[in-house]
Amino acid sequence: MLPVATASAITSTTAAQPYRRPNLVSVGTIVWLSSELMFFAALFAMYFTIRSVSEGRGLAWNPLMVPNPEHDLNIPFATVNTIILVLSSVTCQLGVWAAEKGQVGKLRFWYIVSFLMGAVFIAGQLYEYGELASEGATLSANAYTSVFYLTTGFHGLHVTGGLIAFLFMLGRTYAAKRFTHEQATSAIVVSYYWHFVDVVWIGLFATIYIIR
Amino acid sequence: MKVQGWLFLLCGVFFAGVDIAYWFWTKAEMGSGEPVGTTAMAISVGFAFMVGYYLMFTARRIGAQPEDSKQAEISDGAGEIGFFSPSSWWPLFLCLAAAFAFAGFVIGFWMFLIGVFLVIMAMIGFVFQYYRGNFSH
Repeated sequence: MLPVATASAITSTTAAQPYRRPNLVSVGTIVWLSSELMFFAALFAMYFTIRSVSEGRGLAWNPLMVPNPEHDLNIPFATVNTIILVLSSVTCQLGVWAAEKGQVGKLRFWYIVSFLMGAVFIAGQLYEYGELASEGATLSANAYTSVFYLTTGFHGLHVTGGLIAFLFMLGRTYAAKRFTHEQATSAIVVSYYWHFVDVVWIGLFATIYIIR
Repeated sequence: MKVQGWLFLLCGVFFAGVDIAYWFWTKAEMGSGEPVGTTAMAISVGFAFMVGYYLMFTARRIGAQPEDSKQAEISDGAGEIGFFSPSSWWPLFLCLAAAFAFAGFVIGFWMFLIGVFLVIMAMIGFVFQYYRGNFSH
């Protein structure tokens, strides 16, 4: 040890302003949505596995053939329903932009509109299920109908979950005396979820109604 | 944060390349493209792009982070991270309610309906925990 005292210059720099850290609620939401995406990946993989196995055995795959060969999916109806869901994503984003500016009234308006459009989508899905089931295409009718109800059904449950999230989020804006970042964050992460569910539906729609 | 974003985006590009190669390879080997792996990998592309896009637009919004600077000190990362509930009974109630509802699938539909009601109650409790009583703001 040296008999003299030593010192070194302090080189650390202090930031002029504190860093803006990423919002952990939104980070967590994205991590969770990643696992949700892989859940739907399993459903898609199931769809294509059963499709290729059925075709490999020479079984009819094309929609709902086994009970009633003349029946088919109602594609115009499903297309309109899809457009409603996609547009609800647009209204949801308008709500987010309002939330970022702190305009709580506009946020509520756009989220209520998105909620109603999502509810119309779910009602349309249930109507479609009812029609198919009355034609004999029930969950257990054949491999195709099982896959059809499982994939669209799980998506429908997710949309329903999103509707409940809209209600909770709107409830929070009414419960809080002042609209703050906390409520804006809730609105933003609910919109992430809604966009996610919407994109999954576009994939499902392309798979089930277009590629078939 | 842009670096992390690029990591995911490049992974997505890689998966896309592998996906295309996989489709044509299996097609050459078996006569028809193998659909399951192709689907799974196509969704992996979406997965990587989703995370990458999130990181890129967050990076654009919040600017450079201490992680991005070679001169940064540990203390630069200090500060408020977020709000964390110190303790809560609601997750327990929510899980018990969910367990009750799912047991209804085995035991009877009536039990499932009661379970759904309990789940909704527990969710309201959970979501509005910091909006009521002492915490109302």
